[in-house]
Amino acid sequence: MNMNEILIEAHGLKRHYRRGSETVKAVDGVDLSIRAGERVSILGPSGSGKTTLINLLSCLDAPTEGTLLVAGRSVAGLSEDELVEVRRGVVGFVFQQFSLLPTLTVAENVELPLTFLGRRTDAQRTGEILKTVGLSDRASHLPRELSGGQMQRVAIARALIADPKILFADEPTGNLDSTTGEAIIELFKQLAHDKGLAVIITTHNTVFGYQADRVITLADGRIAKQEELRGGTSLSPLAGPKQKTARAPRGE
Amino acid sequence: MVRDRTKDPFILRRYVVLANKNLRRRPGRTALTVAGVALAVAVTVSLGGFMLGYRVAIDKSINMLGFQVMIMAKGCPYEAATMMLKGGTGLLYLPADTYDKVKTDADIESITPIFVGVAEKQASGISDEGSASNTVIVNGIDPPSYQVMKPWLAFKQGPGFAGGRWFSPGSKDEVVIGFEAAEYEQRKVGDTFYASITPAGKPDPVLHQFKVVGVLERTGTQDDGTVFLPIDVAREYFNRPNQLTILGIKLKEFSSSKISEFENRWLSLPEVQVVGLQQVKTTLVNLVATAQTMIAAVTAVAVIVALIGVINTILMSVYERTAEIGIMKALGARRSGIFELIWLETLMMCLAGAVMGSVLAVAGSGLVQKAIKSLFDLGVSGSIVQITPALIGYAVLGAVILGFFGGLYPAWRASSMRPVDAISRGE
Repeated sequence: MNMNEILIEAHGLKRHYRRGSETVKAVDGVDLSIRAGERVSILGPSGSGKTTLINLLSCLDAPTEGTLLVAGRSVAGLSEDELVEVRRGVVGFVFQQFSLLPTLTVAENVELPLTFLGRRTDAQRTGEILKTVGLSDRASHLPRELSGGQMQRVAIARALIADPKILFADEPTGNLDSTTGEAIIELFKQLAHDKGLAVIITTHNTVFGYQADRVITLADGRIAKQEELRGGTSLSPLAGPKQKTARAPRGE
Repeated sequence: MVRDRTKDPFILRRYVVLANKNLRRRPGRTALTVAGVALAVAVTVSLGGFMLGYRVAIDKSINMLGFQVMIMAKGCPYEAATMMLKGGTGLLYLPADTYDKVKTDADIESITPIFVGVAEKQASGISDEGSASNTVIVNGIDPPSYQVMKPWLAFKQGPGFAGGRWFSPGSKDEVVIGFEAAEYEQRKVGDTFYASITPAGKPDPVLHQFKVVGVLERTGTQDDGTVFLPIDVAREYFNRPNQLTILGIKLKEFSSSKISEFENRWLSLPEVQVVGLQQVKTTLVNLVATAQTMIAAVTAVAVIVALIGVINTILMSVYERTAEIGIMKALGARRSGIFELIWLETLMMCLAGAVMGSVLAVAGSGLVQKAIKSLFDLGVSGSIVQITPALIGYAVLGAVILGFFGGLYPAWRASSMRPVDAISRGE
């Protein structure tokens, strides 16, 4: 994996939509680029546009304006089916609610994306992925037999099974206690390091958010602050990490 | 390697497993829906089996008559039908020369004249006026031509019945008795049979003593309850020397156009009606047409209710799994993948219902037969519910077609969800 490869490049990215007579500017002019192996946290209060931005960057949603390249492919103006084609095999997802299928075992949940991608499953490969997330002994368990942290690990394994280049995690620690959340963040760090994955997470938790290579703080759909942490830090933002890049939101 | 799921059985199997596990998530709801489909299929198969079996039974009854066309005196066609199947009274007669005229028709393969009369049975010559059923149908026949028409007629064998035969030429006191009549009267070959016949135009009956020269094997037709005399003897005893009741006819070519031509040719004779088997058949079929229509309506309602149940179940399941469907799309499922998954769930429910319904129909066919027979007098004997593999095949195919169409809307709804909306709505 070329660590200098730019996997995401956005310029003037906007996502506006109408709610009654009002135009909501959920994302309103974002420029950013993310490289392979980079861990990026997107912070910001509720309604700042974190989820909309991650939806755009992960090709779940299409921008209303601006340009966006994901793994070298231009995304602007694509239909839903075309967005699926960009996502397939490039993007992996982890959700706050874990979103495992309750009737499938851990192994079946992990292998689920392969079914939709039309790829055959491989028990050995599934075993390796489960080992990576520390769940080798839980392959035949049902989700209800797991703890919250274990369920999130299954969701991470599921995101990894198709060998994505970018891993998106929307509030991945939102339903976990701090110890379990810390372990999940460590796992992301390890995956970015070992597999060269670009890991992009949104979080309310600044402690977890600052354990990244870069922290982007959103306000009103724009980047209010962008901080380079050079390899990530375990320090609280209150301890004063060095602000490498700070940029006032446009128009301010 | 990326494979086409429609070509790779492994991927298709994964879809089937996934659909199956989704259906098992709400086992009660799925079971009820499948039961609804099963009931609709069971009703459809039973009704189809009844219609099939009933027609076969009618065909069989009619083939056992031996005639394709009857010429008889004008009267009620229902009575004609009944007469053909069960025997009848209140008879009307044709002039005997009708036989001579009709037998010249070039389309006829064989023809037999029959004289039908009603006599009173006399046990050992003693009048039994207290008996509820002391009459017997007497058929005056011409054995050579009658046997051509009914080649299956055979004489009963065994102790007391050996040496059964038709009448000797010129005899006036010999009878051949049908299987049931012989059993009822406890008559064997060589026994005496008494019957009182009232000659036409005379007030008093005349007691005749006959010798039983043959007892027929069971045929399953009205012949079983009939006593046979030579036609000339019967005409003489009933004092109708120049009359006959029925001309039974077999045509060289048994097609509706030939029968219709034949009928038109001979309808010109005065006081004559030509009854083709089609007419008899139609009369019999009409007897239960109303019941069949009602049952068909019930079937239609059952099918519609089952279909609504299936659509409702799948739609509810789609709504409940909104977020999940969004997640599947996020994980790489195309619209077509979601569509096929939901569609497969619908088809699997319908298929399961079809199989269960078919088993139910086969297992319950005896009961259905009993119920139908107790409700309607169908005028036919034997099995009237025939569930064939082809019928079950059609029912299963029908259920799958229903699932095919029933699944379209829920599958379309699911596949049309935008992943972002689905995930946010479901959370």
